Amino acid sequence: MSETASKVDRRAILLGVLCLAGGVTALTRMSTRVVAAVGANGPELDGERFALLEQVAETLIPTTDTPGAIASGVPEFVRMMLNDWASDETRAALLGVLDGIESKAWNKHGRGFLELPADRRLEVIRIVDEEAFARQDGAWRKFKGLVLVGYYHSEIGATQELRFELVPGAWRSCLPLVEVGRASAV
Amino acid sequence: MDFDAIVVGSGITGGWVAKELCERGVKTLLLERGRNVEHKVDYLDFAAPWQVPNRGRVPEEEKAQHYAIQGTNYAFNSASKQWWVRDSEHPYSTPPDRPFSWIRGYHLGGRSITWGRQTYRLSDYDFGAGRRDGKSIDWPIRYADLSPWYDRVERFAGVSGSNEGLEQLPDGQFMAPMGLNCLERAFKDKVEEIHPTRRVTVARCAHLTEPTAEHIALGRGPCQMRNVCDRGCGYGAYFSSLSATLPAAKKTGNLTIVTDAIVERLDYDHAKRRVSGVRVIDANTRQGKSYQARVVFLCASTIGTAQILLSSRSEFFPNGLANRSDAVGRYLMDHVVGLGAVGTHPGFLDRYYYGRRPSGFYLPRYANITENEDVDFLRGFAFQGYTSRSSWSRGGNEVGVGAELKQKLRTPGRWEMRLVGFGEMLPRADNRVTLDEKRIDKWGIPLVHIDCTHGENERLLGERANRDAAAMLAAAGFENIQANGPVRPPGHSVHEMGTARMGLDPATSVLNRYNRTHDVANLFVTDGSCMASSGTANPSLTYMALSARAANYAADLLTSGEI
Repeated sequence: MSETASKVDRRAILLGVLCLAGGVTALTRMSTRVVAAVGANGPELDGERFALLEQVAETLIPTTDTPGAIASGVPEFVRMMLNDWASDETRAALLGVLDGIESKAWNKHGRGFLELPADRRLEVIRIVDEEAFARQDGAWRKFKGLVLVGYYHSEIGATQELRFELVPGAWRSCLPLVEVGRASAV
Repeated sequence: MDFDAIVVGSGITGGWVAKELCERGVKTLLLERGRNVEHKVDYLDFAAPWQVPNRGRVPEEEKAQHYAIQGTNYAFNSASKQWWVRDSEHPYSTPPDRPFSWIRGYHLGGRSITWGRQTYRLSDYDFGAGRRDGKSIDWPIRYADLSPWYDRVERFAGVSGSNEGLEQLPDGQFMAPMGLNCLERAFKDKVEEIHPTRRVTVARCAHLTEPTAEHIALGRGPCQMRNVCDRGCGYGAYFSSLSATLPAAKKTGNLTIVTDAIVERLDYDHAKRRVSGVRVIDANTRQGKSYQARVVFLCASTIGTAQILLSSRSEFFPNGLANRSDAVGRYLMDHVVGLGAVGTHPGFLDRYYYGRRPSGFYLPRYANITENEDVDFLRGFAFQGYTSRSSWSRGGNEVGVGAELKQKLRTPGRWEMRLVGFGEMLPRADNRVTLDEKRIDKWGIPLVHIDCTHGENERLLGERANRDAAAMLAAAGFENIQANGPVRPPGHSVHEMGTARMGLDPATSVLNRYNRTHDVANLFVTDGSCMASSGTANPSLTYMALSARAANYAADLLTSGEI
């Protein structure tokens, strides 16, 4: 599939989904951004869309007693992977995940994801997650997987949230978990 | 003469031949078709996860365009990418419906940098298999011939493992084993209770756990349990040409290494019945050059060696050098993989481990050795086992978000065990490497055409391996048991072998009992192409032992003046 074709298809699909799910208001308010986002050649994760990615990642992996996704650079990591790693097809699928979250926010709460309070964001992400697994949506798994590797293989995720030794120096084959503490990051 | 000996290829076997020859005072030229690599300096093994390019992922389009075959190997990632050829630059052909995975790396050290480091001896069940069932030619050697050479290469390479007293898996010269984890111990107890002649033992692997003075003198140190071996090891803790054999060979002052030197063909002097020259093409400048020596060793890998021999046609050897038997390129084998099963265990949730053991356990062959009832196939299979508690990555495959997800992933998940079967593959004349008469590579060398399939025996033993693996996991209390399948194309286990086999009869084999070609007195082949049958064990250790033995034999002949 060519890049242009895939973008057109994705837009058509997205608009179709919105028509079914979100109603006229949502479609009107969303359509400007969707058109801008799939515009030719431009960076696809600037501005508002990057802010959406930040908050989605932070909702998936929030700040608790350890730093969350934003402090660990997860949004920047996902953007880099979209630019440097993902094929056109994967990039479209991953961006489609963000669109799906935005449309779910409109559908459920009549507002964009960024305008929702934290508990509503979590609710939206929870629904997206459950629905995606129920219908075996590969794009969501890919997206979630990227956020997770972005977090748990970041320096903060690996060393503050989990455990990581660059040079363990020994193999201790069978220990009580409490002696080791947290899961190893690798 | 420029040199006493020329060795083609710097991987596991070329490194061993060079070391043994150099230590015997033989002036040796080592030719490597790939680029130079500097041990330690060129490795990415000290990169933390957050420093690895794309966290280990090779860009999808690059992978699809350039690494369609190499990218199927388990060790292919963004930190090991330099160790694999670009398939787009090094094509080969197969029949469209008969894929073969030719996994390789062209650089100094070859696949000794990326090998799985599993080191198991063959036994007389393997060397005597053809004599017993007639489905392969008889090996011209027996275990007793190779046993002292296994000792020698194990001591030098450094192998950790446990002696078990099994006939089908002979003991060796081992350093301290790495140790089974909690679940593996329980699995071992259960399997051995139900099946008294099956054995679960810690993997024997070429990692230093108790380095000797000889290892340390070469700049090698003990394994640090990092498990980033596929990037190369800056501690020199696992055996490779770069960590071990080449430094030892260099110390003698007898070694010359030329990289970027692609061997195009060998010239043959009919009057002397000798190889008279090794013609190479510089990979970068495409300049041709010829080297001469009294003896030539091909250690170019099974398919590479077949390509060189088949390309070295002359009026005296119209089918390729040393190929009066027509066996060159034929009898290509691999180990059948894509066998076994995986499961999760509900118990041992309060147990864990520390460090990243770069290996697992081994369950040696039992079918047609200690278990002969209801066996509808010849030969057998063995299992490598890998066990760990599932990591944070399970979060990507399960429902769950937010603080709850984060809290859950802070603790390791359930225990998982994978039994990976390796099945013996019978040699068949039709499984072969030929030259593609129509297409050449960018150096003008004919491409190879590989036509290789599994047969009925492989199918039957694979089914049995899958059944047995699932049954053992179930008996040990595992759940969610799934087969590892599908069976992968031949080549996928990167144990390809057999294209210039050893044998007693020059009419049906290429090499004699010392890996010397029957037809050409000063030509030896010691890579995997020499194998008369595959056995079930990972073959590298056997290649090493055969290489060391052949090199010392050749050194004897050079001393006596016979060659």
